[in-house]
This record gives sequence, C-alpha cells and structure tokens, in this order.
Amino acid sequence: MSLEPFARSAPFTLGVELELQIVNSHDYDLTPGAEDLLRVIAKRRTAADVKPEITSSMIETSTGVCENHGQVIAQLREVRDALVESAERLNLRLCGGGTHPFQDWSRRRIFDTQRFRKVSELYGYLSKQFTVFGQHVHIGCPNPDDALWLLHALSRYVPHVIALSASSPYVQGYDTGFQSARLNSVFAFPLAGRAPFMLSWDDFSIYFDKMSRTGVVKSMKDFYWDIRPKPEFGTIEVRVMDTPLTIERAAATAAYLQCVARSLLTEKPFQPHEDDYLAYTYNRFQACRFGLDGEVVDPLTAEHHTLRDVIRRTLRDIEGHAIDLRADDGLNLIRESLLDEDGGADASWLRATQAQQQYLPELVRRQCVRFEGGTLD
Amino acid sequence: MPENLLSWITLPWTLRPDTLLGATLLLILAALLGEVVWRGLRWPRLMGYCIVGTVLALSGGGLHPIGPPTALRLAIDVALSLLLFDAGSRLNLRWLRSNSLLLATSLAESVLSAVAVYFVARMFNAPMVVSLALAIVGMSVSPGVVLRVVSECHAAGQVSERVMALSTLNTLYALLAGRLLHGWLQVDSADEVWGEMARALFSFCGSFLLGAALAIAVAVIARRLDLRNENSTMLLLGFVLLALVIAKTLQLSTLLVPLVAGIWLRNGSARPWVWPRHFGTAGGVLVLVLFVAVGSAWSPAIVMEGGKLAAAVLLARFAAKTLVVVSLARPSGVSLRQALALSVSLLPLSATAWVMMLDLAAVPSPWVRELMPAFLSALAWMALLGPLAVLYGLRYAREIDTGEMGRLK
Repeated sequence: MSLEPFARSAPFTLGVELELQIVNSHDYDLTPGAEDLLRVIAKRRTAADVKPEITSSMIETSTGVCENHGQVIAQLREVRDALVESAERLNLRLCGGGTHPFQDWSRRRIFDTQRFRKVSELYGYLSKQFTVFGQHVHIGCPNPDDALWLLHALSRYVPHVIALSASSPYVQGYDTGFQSARLNSVFAFPLAGRAPFMLSWDDFSIYFDKMSRTGVVKSMKDFYWDIRPKPEFGTIEVRVMDTPLTIERAAATAAYLQCVARSLLTEKPFQPHEDDYLAYTYNRFQACRFGLDGEVVDPLTAEHHTLRDVIRRTLRDIEGHAIDLRADDGLNLIRESLLDEDGGADASWLRATQAQQQYLPELVRRQCVRFEGGTLD
Repeated sequence: MPENLLSWITLPWTLRPDTLLGATLLLILAALLGEVVWRGLRWPRLMGYCIVGTVLALSGGGLHPIGPPTALRLAIDVALSLLLFDAGSRLNLRWLRSNSLLLATSLAESVLSAVAVYFVARMFNAPMVVSLALAIVGMSVSPGVVLRVVSECHAAGQVSERVMALSTLNTLYALLAGRLLHGWLQVDSADEVWGEMARALFSFCGSFLLGAALAIAVAVIARRLDLRNENSTMLLLGFVLLALVIAKTLQLSTLLVPLVAGIWLRNGSARPWVWPRHFGTAGGVLVLVLFVAVGSAWSPAIVMEGGKLAAAVLLARFAAKTLVVVSLARPSGVSLRQALALSVSLLPLSATAWVMMLDLAAVPSPWVRELMPAFLSALAWMALLGPLAVLYGLRYAREIDTGEMGRLK
C-alpha cells in the first residue's frame, strides 16, 4: 500500500486526543468497562468523539478540528461531562494520568476488534503492557513539506511537553523514580522513537514505499514515532505526552504546542538538521526522568539548561502568537505551574498526594475527582 | 453443649461429620476437591465445598433433621457475617442514585419474585404462612455465593457489579421482611401487636446502630493501619466477631448487623477500603465450613417430600427476576446478553436464607414442619446449580478473567 495523499487542513488548527483510564469504584483498579461505556455514551451527541483503545479498561476521546484553546476546552469539557455521567450510571469512574499506579498488566483484556487482536498477536505482552495513557495533539499544516519541516523543528520541544504533561511516576505499585514512566513502555516497540530525517514529502513517500515493501508496515498507524505525519488529516501528531490529570492541563499543553508550531513555521528561527537528534534521546530521557528539573543539552552550542528555564524562555518567545491565537489562558496555566513550589507537573502532585495518603487506591480516587472537575476535601 | 463437645473428643474413630476426626477429614476433602475442580474445570473452589456438602447430604450424613450443632452454628454465623460484611461494603448507594432504573430493577425484581413465589406456593396448597416465608426466601439471592464466585474468578464488568448490588439489596429487603414475619408469628392476640411492633422496631434500629458502630470502628482502625496486611485483617475479624456476639446478646439480627456495617463503611466516606478476600486464611476456613454445611443441610427424604414445590417456586422466582431484569436492561445501561447473564446469575440460594429460616423455625409453630421440606429442597436444588449459574452467567457475559492461566508456577 502506498502512502495516501496529504489532505488539506487549515494551518495551526488543533485536535486533541486523550486516552483515559476506566477504574471501578470499589478498589479503583482498572476495569474492563470500555464496551459498556461506549454503548451508554452512544446515545449522547458531543462534538468530540469517543473510541475504544487496545485494552478494555481504556477509552479514547478526540476533539474535532479546533481553532483555538477556547474551543479545545469547550469540547473536552462537554465530552468529559458526558463520559463522567455515563460512567456513573455504570458504577465506573474515569481519570487521567499516564499510567495506572498499581494495575497488574497481565489482568488486562484486549478490546475485541480485528485490529487490536492482530496487534496483540504480534506484540504479545507488550500490547498488554501498553495499557498506558497518552495525550496526542494534531496540528494542521498548510502543506506536506511544511508538515515535515515542522515535525523536525518541533523535535527540540519534545522534552518540554513531556515534562509539562508528566503524570506517570508509579507503575505496577512501585515508584519508578521517573516523572513520566509511560514513555518507557512505548520505547519497547520496534518502530518507536524519532521519525527519519526527511524534509520533502516526495522523499518521505519513497521511504514509506520501501518500508511498506518490506512488509514491516502497512499504514502510518504502524509507526509509533514521537511525532508522526497524519496525511489523512493533513496534520502532524505529537504523541509524547502523558494524559494529564485535568482537561485544563491537556488543553494548555495543546495550546503551547500550537503557539510553538506557529512561531516556528512563520518565523523559521532555525533550520532543522539531522544533528538536532544528537542529543534527542538524552534530552527526552532527562524530561522523562526529572520532568521540569531535567537538564537538556543544545546539541549545537553544547549549553545545558533546565527544562523549567527553557520553557520559561519559550513562553516569552511565543507571547505574540499566544495573543493572536487567543491561547493566553492556557499558557498562563503553564506559567503558574512553573512557579509551583512542589514541582509543577502532575507527577509531583501524585507523589505529594501519595506521600500524604500512603494508599494507592485513594490516590486513584483523588485522580478521578480531579478529572471530573470536582473538589477534594 | 458439654455432651456435644465431649462426643467430639471422645469418639474420634467414628467417621461421622459431628466428630472431630470426621469434621477434619471433611475439611481436608473439601479443600482438596476445591483445588481439583479449580485446576481441572476452572470452577471456583467454592464448588468443591458444595460438592462435599451435597455428597454428605445424599449419603444421609447431612444436617437434616438435627440442624447444625452449637459449635458449627457459631462457625456458620461468623462466616456469614464476614461474607455479608464484604457484600455490603461493595454496595455503592451513589450508583443507585445516579442510575434510578437500577434501583427500580432491584425493587421490582424483589417484589415480583416474592409475589410469584407466594402464588405458586399457594397453588400447591401450601399454608399462607409457609407461602409467605417462601416468598421472602424467593426474594433474596445469596450474596455469599455471588461474591465468592465473582472474586475467585476475578470477574469484572456490569454483570458482576449488578449481581453483587442486586443480591445485596434483595437480601436486605428479605431480612427486613423476615423480621416482620417473625414478629407477626409471635402475635397470638390483638393486644400483643403493639408490643411485637415495638420489638421489631427495636431490632431494626438496634441492628442499624450496631452495624454503624462496627463500620465506624473499622474505619477508625483502617485509617491508621493498612487493612491489606494480615495482622490488621485479624483485627477486622475480631471486630466483626465482637459485633456478632453483641448482636446475639441483644437478640438483634446477626445477618442484618454485618450487612449494614458493610454498607455504612462503603458509603460513609469516599475513601476506598480494601481488605483481603474473606479476611485471609482464617476467614477462608470458616467460609469452607459454611458452604460444606449449607450443602449438607438437607436429606434425600426431605427432597422427596418438598422437592416438587421447591422446584416450582424456584422456577417462578427465576421467571420473575428474568422478566424484570430483561425488560429494564436497555434503559438501565446493559445489553440483552448481559441481562440474560444477570438473570441466570441471580439463581443462588444459600446460607443467608438458611440461617434466616432457621431463625424463623425457632418460633414454636406447627407450620414450621410444613415449611422445611420445601425450603430445604430449594437449598438442595440450588446447592450446586446456584454457584454454577453464577459462573456460567459470568462466562456468558465474558466477564471472567483468563489472565491468571498464563502465570508460571
């Protein structure tokens, strides 16, 4: 199968996908409720879509094409409320977070569709280990060459959004030491990592055809890259984020990416280069392990800075675009969290809460309350 | 009962279930068979215990007509308290509020199955009081069997959730109705009505207060200790025992107290409470004893006498529950397949009903002799069918986990 043509989309439009955890309301372990939830929510009409994911204790929601942060928030709120209400009728609860803190991966069940069964047969336990929850952001690109240019230019910002969204410190009942341990599950897949460095869509099509001829991939879906083009939508898709604990945080991260993308493509402050990737995996590791306190390296100048500082500088650089795109509310949320005493990311909140409660089921319950938009006692 | 205890010690060589050696061998046999059916058939271990009880009853060594001796009765009460406490602690009242059709299902299936059972029993010329008692039995579904099958098989999904909620609720209704019937039977003349009503009210309020006190005590220790650890579980077990003793002393319902305590604990605060299934190993032994005992509560002779009526009553009960569950399925949020699975899972009849009827039978009344054949036959029919119905219901709903099968030893 050859690569499909790159669809047209309005530049810098946004789409946000969130993978959510379905937990029971008794001990707050993951529970296979996707099918029931889909059946109940099918009666509701929302601007955002709701779909199944690989294991039956996950559910995915995706907004339609949004122009700005305000629309993203509105659509996410609407679908969140519909989902929460449907879940309540089934004695289920929903929450964000990149991993479930104490689930046993072997107990997960594959959601029964042909594609998921195939993936599960190929990847074995990896597919069950893949019960992790991410946020994906689509950014509309004016044309396919710009899409690839943006894809590689954005690679420097991958650590930023990993640190900003990190919400998976706990895995299988243990503290991993990471702010985002979720990405470690993604790296295990053979086609994970960075996209090959190509700036023209023609070159990329040739690459895809070669890969496709080997039989290793059949569609773009088989690449698990950190950022990948989505020709069907005319977008690039940033896939490194954990699902944050609140939809406000999810929308803010999307707004940050939107403003960065606009500043990159309109100002072209630098040319992407293969050498950008020299320190890519190191920087990404720093972001996963230490979050906002991680130290990233500029591969060209060899300068070291904390992500907190780099993001602060970026926020200043994109201020004009934030005003044009009406993204201020979102970026302010990020600005405030950078000043936060206890670290600023959701992962830090999770650790602080667990330190206080000493009880993972209660931690998950509190995650649910935060996702639902409720207040904690 | 000193003579009773004496016989346990002095006659170890007599192979009867009421001797120490006999009881010990039964325990070993039940545990072994539980493991065999689990490994061979993927049936819950509970089935092994029920089979041992059934074989015992068939061979004439069952508990009918003598009834459980004092020591055994204590073990049964404690085991049942643990199961009811656990069942209550899974009932989320918020769920009933947000899904009013589930509450409607619960009320309708209880009322309709009671009515259906009552009329069928009357059609078989059973006296009114006997029919009423059977109606109350027909209302309830054993939460113990349901809970054990669900947790042993690691079942999860709407059918599991709903069968637990519905069985806990209809047991609650049946316990309240049973207490009223109990009071009514004591009344000989019109003058005594008020006194009996006051006694029933005292029993209700007392049971609720004691249940609440137990829940609060458990919540207080749970905040300081982790209930998932073995020693705190023993403490929890101790509290349940204490509540049981107090309930017995004050002549409150030993069934209502733990059930209310569980419900109170679950709904009193938002914090989730998790403790090991049936309170660890100690509780596990008691639960085994309970199911062997219930399984052997009848005798072939009594099934000859009451088997037909019992079968008719159970069929009416099944039809009534199915009708309600299926007709309210879609609007309450489950598919037809799930509704059928749920209806089948609502078959078990077990220890809760047994103890309820034993308490009723303690009232000196001639009709007891007419109730017991039908009731014990119903227990006999459901001894093996009940847990299997839950198991296959959950399998049909695809809610049973198969993950553990791949685990290496």
